Formats: sequence, structure tokens, C-alpha cells
Amino acid sequence: VIVRAAAVLVAALGLAGPAAACAQPRTSLNALEGEIMCPTCHTTLDQSDAPAAQRIEVFIRHRIDQCATESQIKDELVQNFGAGILAAPPHKGFDLLAWWLPLGGVMLGAVAVAFGVWRWSRTRDPEEEPPASGLDDETERQLDELLARLD
Amino acid sequence: MTGRAKRVGQVIALAAVAGLLVLLVWKLAFGSGGGAASELAKGQHPTAPAFTLSRLDASDGKLSLAELKGKPVVVNFWASWCDPCKQEAKALEQAWRQYRRQGVVFVGIDYHDVTGDARRFLEHHGVTYLSVLDGSGQIGDRYGLTGVPETFFVDRRGRLVGDHILGPITLQKWASAFHQGLQAALDS
Repeated sequence: VIVRAAAVLVAALGLAGPAAACAQPRTSLNALEGEIMCPTCHTTLDQSDAPAAQRIEVFIRHRIDQCATESQIKDELVQNFGAGILAAPPHKGFDLLAWWLPLGGVMLGAVAVAFGVWRWSRTRDPEEEPPASGLDDETERQLDELLARLD
Repeated sequence: MTGRAKRVGQVIALAAVAGLLVLLVWKLAFGSGGGAASELAKGQHPTAPAFTLSRLDASDGKLSLAELKGKPVVVNFWASWCDPCKQEAKALEQAWRQYRRQGVVFVGIDYHDVTGDARRFLEHHGVTYLSVLDGSGQIGDRYGLTGVPETFFVDRRGRLVGDHILGPITLQKWASAFHQGLQAALDS
């Protein structure tokens, strides 16, 4: 009984070992597949069966087994393949432009549209005023007197 | 003032469209397209695209094509994930051992590959000639690579000569082209 219990304990430790060995939660291949490009087919790994993509997946699995974090794995891939291996540019340095420029463009566009609408409404205002009668002051005065008498 | 602002806006918009059109025309007219391989296919002898890449056979060394000027060079693009590259590895090593006495240098350029896999490939196939890593594939693109393996020949003046070999040199149709390319690199 003791031997059997010891065997079960060893097996359990063996199974739990790899998961418990990492200081932080492991990342997964699924989490990374959509963020890494296949260099030969220019799609993300999850959409590619190319040999190069398969080898990169093997590399990622291997590094996950070694408790490498997501950012460590990405850094190593960038070092090996260049920044083009990442599906999205990193949020640092010059690459920040790729994130902020489109946002800046949208904001600039919104400001331009708002300005245009404001200008358009200002030019439209005078047209909406009631048209002038076209009568001189004296005629208007006489007309007012006539209307007053009729009342 | 309103009319002037409108005209300025129109000019800016027109300039932006014209700029994009110029870029498109420039790309179509002068874009790299097929790289050096397309010029070679037209019978020209373009200068071999230069490179400085990390060596796979030395942990921190680099190799530059410029260092090899004055020597005939065989440039072979390969990858560890490429099955035909495995087929030709032995033949290339044999050719290197045969031709190195004549001063020919062989350079294997590992294309879009994981460094660890590449080193295991070299060890497994007993490759002893120079090998470098083109992980980003930029150099392969400049040569006009369509896949791996592909082989180019560079003469002593740094020009591409001979045929551009698409596929493993173990194939009969490329075996003679390989020797002709080597001869062209040695002769010119």
C-alpha cells in the first residue's frame, strides 16, 4: 500500500511539476498565434500551415515549456526575424506613431467636420432672417398709420 | 477670406492626390519587383546585393559580402524547414570541398528561420562552409527570392553571373547549371 501510494504521489508530482515550476502563469500558443506573423506567407500563425509557421509554433511551445513570458518570446522572435514578425507594432518608441497617427487623423477629421458645420451654419443664418420689405421709412410709417386706423 | 481658405484647401487636397499618384508611378516604374534575379534573367549582370549578416557558425560574428570581394562566391539560400534544402545539403558540402581549392567561397544564407533550428540543421548535415542568418528575409527579397532553396553565383568583381538556380541542385536540370554558374564565377 505504501509503495502504491508513493507511486501515485510521484506520478502526481510529475504531472504537476511542469505547471508548478513557473513563477507566473504560463502564456499559451493560442494567445500568441494571432499576434505573430508567418514570415513566408504574411498571415498570422493561426491562419498558416506553412513549414516556417510550424517551426515558429514549435519554438513558441518550447519556450512556453521553459516558462518564458509572452514578452520574452516576442522579443526573441523580433531578434531572430525582425520587427515584421509581430502582427501589430509594439507600443513603444517610434512604433507608437503607428498607434497614435490614425487616432490623431480621426480627431483631426472630426475637428475639421465640426469646423465645417459651424462655418456652414453661420453662413446660413442671414438667409433665414425674414426678407426686408424694401419700403423706405416714410412709406412704412404711412403704412403703419393706415393699418392702425383699420384696426 | 472664405473663398481663399477654400482655394487653399483645394490646392492641399490636389497636392495630396498628386503626391500619392507620383508614389504609385514611382513604385510601378522603379519598385524592386523581382530584385536582382529579374535583372539576371534579362541577361544583365547586376551587382550582387550587399549584406552584413550574423554568422550561424560563430556566436557573435558577422559576415559581409564586401569582405569576399575578389573571390568567386556561391550564395545559397536555404532554411531548416525546407525539405529540398535537406536534399541538396550534402551535394553543396561536397561541391564546396571540391571547389574551395580554387578559391571559391560558399555562403549559405538561412532565410526566415529560427536560429536554433538552423544550427541543428548545419550540425546534422555536416555543413562546414560559411552560414549566415537572414531572419527578416530582407536580403532574400533584394536578391528576388521566390522560395528556398535558390542559388546565385557572384564573380570576383561582385556581379551576379550564370543562371539563378531555383530548387535543389541535386535535380538533374540544375546540376549542370550549378557547374556552369561556378565556372562563370571563376572565369570572369
